[in-house]
Amino acid sequence: MRKRIAALALALAMVLSLAACGGDNSSKQPGGDKKDDGQGSDKVYRIAMVTDSSITDGSWGTVTYNAMVDAATERGWQYECADAIAQSAYYDTFASYCDQGFDIVYAPGNQYTDAILEVAKEYPDVVFAQLNGSMGTPEKAENGNVMVMFPDSHEIGWTAGILAGLMTQTNTVAFIGAIELDTTQGKYAGFKESAEYVGKQEGKSVTVLDPVYSGDFNASDKGIEFAKALMDQGADVFFGDAGAVDSGARQAIDEHNTAAGKVEVYDIAQPADLLGQNECIICSQVTDNSSLVSMCMESVENGTFEGGAVYGTMGNGVLSAGKISDLVPKEIQDKYNAYLEQVKAGTFMK
Amino acid sequence: MDMTFVTNLLLASVHMATPLIFLALAELYSQRAGLVHIGIEGLAAIGSLTGFLVSYISGSPMTGMFLGALMGILVNMIYAYATITLCAEQTVYGMIINIFALALASFIYRVYFGAGASLAQVNLMSTLSSALGITSDNFFVELLLDQTLMVYLAYGLVLFTAVYFNKTKSGLNYKAVGEYPKAAATLGINVIGVKYVASIICGALAGMGGAYLTTCYSTTYVDGNVAGRGFIALAAVIFGRWSAGGVLLACLFFGFCDALQIRLQISGSSMPYQFFQMIPYIATVAVLTLIGAKKAGPKGAGKPYRKEER
Repeated sequence: MRKRIAALALALAMVLSLAACGGDNSSKQPGGDKKDDGQGSDKVYRIAMVTDSSITDGSWGTVTYNAMVDAATERGWQYECADAIAQSAYYDTFASYCDQGFDIVYAPGNQYTDAILEVAKEYPDVVFAQLNGSMGTPEKAENGNVMVMFPDSHEIGWTAGILAGLMTQTNTVAFIGAIELDTTQGKYAGFKESAEYVGKQEGKSVTVLDPVYSGDFNASDKGIEFAKALMDQGADVFFGDAGAVDSGARQAIDEHNTAAGKVEVYDIAQPADLLGQNECIICSQVTDNSSLVSMCMESVENGTFEGGAVYGTMGNGVLSAGKISDLVPKEIQDKYNAYLEQVKAGTFMK
Repeated sequence: MDMTFVTNLLLASVHMATPLIFLALAELYSQRAGLVHIGIEGLAAIGSLTGFLVSYISGSPMTGMFLGALMGILVNMIYAYATITLCAEQTVYGMIINIFALALASFIYRVYFGAGASLAQVNLMSTLSSALGITSDNFFVELLLDQTLMVYLAYGLVLFTAVYFNKTKSGLNYKAVGEYPKAAATLGINVIGVKYVASIICGALAGMGGAYLTTCYSTTYVDGNVAGRGFIALAAVIFGRWSAGGVLLACLFFGFCDALQIRLQISGSSMPYQFFQMIPYIATVAVLTLIGAKKAGPKGAGKPYRKEER
């Protein structure tokens, strides 16, 4: 009996120590600003992020978390985040934040659509902001409380594909994805058509290898093996949409370049400017997710929120290209910038 | 199918099998002493984080590996105390270790680096070929020399384990504890002591398996990077019929299947990629079905040993 009690106490101690580890559950309050909601009361607005990525993955998770933090800091909102959430826990995590009275629940990815629609039905007073969702999602929300922030995945692909088409020496470029999401497919489609188009303009026939999928955003080891295998196929410019998998791919590319004694295989990063993180990165496709989140926050503050979709394009400045590495010759940089101007003007490939 | 495909597939298989070998050996040592440990995933996670963090701070992957093993032992002592001394349910505590250690690893990383920080990267352990200054594209040179010390250690441990369990008195005594602990005790074997030693070995090997991922394989740490290898190791021990040689073959097989699915995706087949991702799991089910349960595991595995009971 004494042993049973001791075993139980040990289990309890471990659980409680974990709770202590989790400790800081209080909302982060960057400015602690309070807003006048028009009814004379000072309201502190709160936003919570739910993601299946780790916010320390140095890629998608980190970038989308920082987007929320930047927007919250700018607008004086409190923020919370639950990361590395399993698919089976999406619904409960969303509902938990709703129960806590958060004004906006923010989810970066198309994979949350079903859970969002379910919870949005039950919590009509909470706004759901989904980054990279599907276009039809807001219409499916019965209470009209879902906003989809939609960086144009095709244009994201173009930004990378144009540079890939210009830089490839082997005329073979590759794309690594994690999960076959609509947005990932859109990025691949844009990457493929722009790389082939630009290659043709440059008098070369560029082959864009079929996309490969790791099945998991955190599998950096798979990124290493995918990159090695794709380099065996002759790929010399990479683009990806796979979180930590992209980090693994860059590691393999850097190792290849070190062995070759020169940088001959390149990577184009996304969705923040990651130039300098790895030697192989020649440029980044940058999405200003912060401004999209901020737009949603503003509409909640003003009481003008209506749901629907907000689009991010090169034209409205949400999408852009990051700094270009010195590994890209000046002549190619100029051509690249000229192509980007065409994208902004809506004349690319027309 | 060209030779490059085959040779690179085999090289990738070795890379992907090595962490599994450490983890499966950890499980083997635990089960051979009668402790079914489903918490290998958690031990590997904390080993992975410790290896990464120590390597990042000290600049020495070897120190990271050593302390990763030490951390694995420390965390596994919770399991050992609960299941050996307190005779608690092994499966329950294995699961608790999984939840606790994974969360602890994530928490420590978050505290040290902060949320949303830029990606931290470490230098990996050098390979023998780079230490010797050998550069060659030859398959055998790459297979035999372009490996870190830990790869040689993994295969050396398999050999040692095979000899130890089958050719030494100490190894036979160890196995006796996992089979019939009460009979072993009547022969003067310190059953509790052997079980604790098994837990130390298990913790060290699982910690090393995790630390391998961040000191020899990937320059970054990300939550969940063990990616189910702890559970695959559990399957590998069953698959390998609780023998060191069998476990090695099972790990190589799993590594091969994983490497194969990656390369088949790239082969340009019109088959959906999900099909290729299923290969390691379909293969597991198929082989386990074919092998059947002719030889069960240690008979005392999973059962608490109460010294005072008759």
